[in-house]
Amino acid sequence: MSISLSAHRHRTWLPASRAPRVLMGLTIALIIALMWGAASGALGISPWALMSGNASELSVQVWWQLRLPRLLLGVAVGAMLAGSGAAMQGLFRNPLADPTLLGLASGAGLFVALWIVLFQGSAMGSLYGQFAAGFLGALSVCVIVFGLAKRQGGSSAAVMTLLLAGLAINTLAGAGGGVLAFIANDEQLRQLSLWGMGTLTNALWRTTAIALVLISIALWMLLRSASELDLLQLGESTAHAAGLDASRLKRRVVVATSLGVGLCVALTGVIGFLGLLVPHCLRLWLGPSHRLLLPASMLGGALLLVVADTLARTLGAPAEIPVGLLTSLLGGPYFLYLLMRRSPSC
Amino acid sequence: MLTLHKAGLSTTPSLVPIDDTLRPGELLAIVGPNGAGKSTLLSMLSGYRSCEEGEVRLDGRLLQEWEIDALASRRALVAQQEPLGFDWRVEELVCLGCNPEKALIAELLDDLDLIHLAKRSALTLSGGERQRVMVARGACQILSRRSATAKDGGLLLLDEPTSALDIGQQQRLMRQLRVWAEQHQMAIVCVLHDLNLASIYADRVWLLNKGQRISHGLPNQVLSLDTIADIYAAELQLIRASPAAAPFLALRP
Repeated sequence: MSISLSAHRHRTWLPASRAPRVLMGLTIALIIALMWGAASGALGISPWALMSGNASELSVQVWWQLRLPRLLLGVAVGAMLAGSGAAMQGLFRNPLADPTLLGLASGAGLFVALWIVLFQGSAMGSLYGQFAAGFLGALSVCVIVFGLAKRQGGSSAAVMTLLLAGLAINTLAGAGGGVLAFIANDEQLRQLSLWGMGTLTNALWRTTAIALVLISIALWMLLRSASELDLLQLGESTAHAAGLDASRLKRRVVVATSLGVGLCVALTGVIGFLGLLVPHCLRLWLGPSHRLLLPASMLGGALLLVVADTLARTLGAPAEIPVGLLTSLLGGPYFLYLLMRRSPSC
Repeated sequence: MLTLHKAGLSTTPSLVPIDDTLRPGELLAIVGPNGAGKSTLLSMLSGYRSCEEGEVRLDGRLLQEWEIDALASRRALVAQQEPLGFDWRVEELVCLGCNPEKALIAELLDDLDLIHLAKRSALTLSGGERQRVMVARGACQILSRRSATAKDGGLLLLDEPTSALDIGQQQRLMRQLRVWAEQHQMAIVCVLHDLNLASIYADRVWLLNKGQRISHGLPNQVLSLDTIADIYAAELQLIRASPAAAPFLALRP
């Protein structure tokens, strides 16, 4: 069940001592991207004007009410998607795993779609409701999947069960989404499809603030699991003998991922390929140890999403390309390229 | 150091209770046909599967009462080969589960003829090379995490460590296990398929069949021609180079 991508033979490792520099470099790149993202858009806002107090009131409003929460949401969602991708890949010991694999994202998506169709336009159709629906969706998938895996008991069977349960849930959620699209009216359908493409336009302070807090908690839980994820790579029985409580680790990673991913899906829809690509590319460069890979993936995911979203806002301004469409358009071909140059020996 | 008191498993795969004691510095071989319960027994000895009857104690304390982390400083397990998801470097792989000094890594890699592979990606290794890396990792774990007050070198559990090795490497590995056992007063339990390796290198042998330990003791007592031929349903002949040499079991053509 182990599937390996790309030509491993040609990887050049980075010495471990350079880890702090890598993280520092990614942080600086992220800050630069944030400054660029804050300045550009339909209304150009100079950061110097903002800091010196010379900016117009409109500029300040746009910057504070629209751009800043949107950038912060991009950082949180990007970090969460890429970080949970890295953690899932570690948990399954498979570079093709990500939160969509377990059915978390599609479960959350189904619940949110249900919410849109049932409560759109009513008082309950607020963003908070959507957000709770996403979390509930991811969490119920989690409960189902882990309930199934627990009944299997055995350790190696459990991972396979998780994968198959995820597959079943993805199929089910896909069908459910189809049914919802079928019964939805025109307005709901439009909202469903826009949300489904993945976009950060819903960023408002009241939702972004909650997202930031909850996602930070989820990210912290994942970061704490880094060295345990390394140990798990030995296989469960060997890892147990090396001091790993595998069920505690699984619980923590899956709860953190479903919390974070459920939230991301509710707020932004499905933003594809970040969870798969960012950790995958960084692993080729940094090596497989999660102690560096996890924080680097979080920074890298945040960086990529902020850049992609700024492009999405500016490329066709004043119209806006859904950022999920952009990441999938860029990520899909790159992923196929990785598959094609995979060395036959692996 | 490790005591089994009527320790067994009642649920499948089951194991008929065993009484025994493992001493530091001893190399114990577990042999038996496919499906005899060797790996199951090993996972009970490591505490991964709790015994359902009787008890297993390490240093006088019940295995299930140990903290997972404390136990990891006293015993290591090298399971049968697991697929590696990612490309760890050999020297990174040896350090999983411990934080060893560089000198210890070099020493262990050198012991198992791996020092020239230290910087290589584990995915590019042959099956036998990787097997030796995993044995080095297990030894590294208990040696580097050993507490200053420990009187012995802990317990190393190996599941078929020679299955992918050529005969030269088999000899080198088994000799090295003997050296580690004596030098560090380590107790080593080794599931083996090659009865002759057990006969040459083990202090004691447990013979398992159908979840039951049917015989145990010195290699030349346990590995008698008739018992082995019967249990394995194989036609064998016994070859003895000299009266003092270990008996050698060979297949009849």
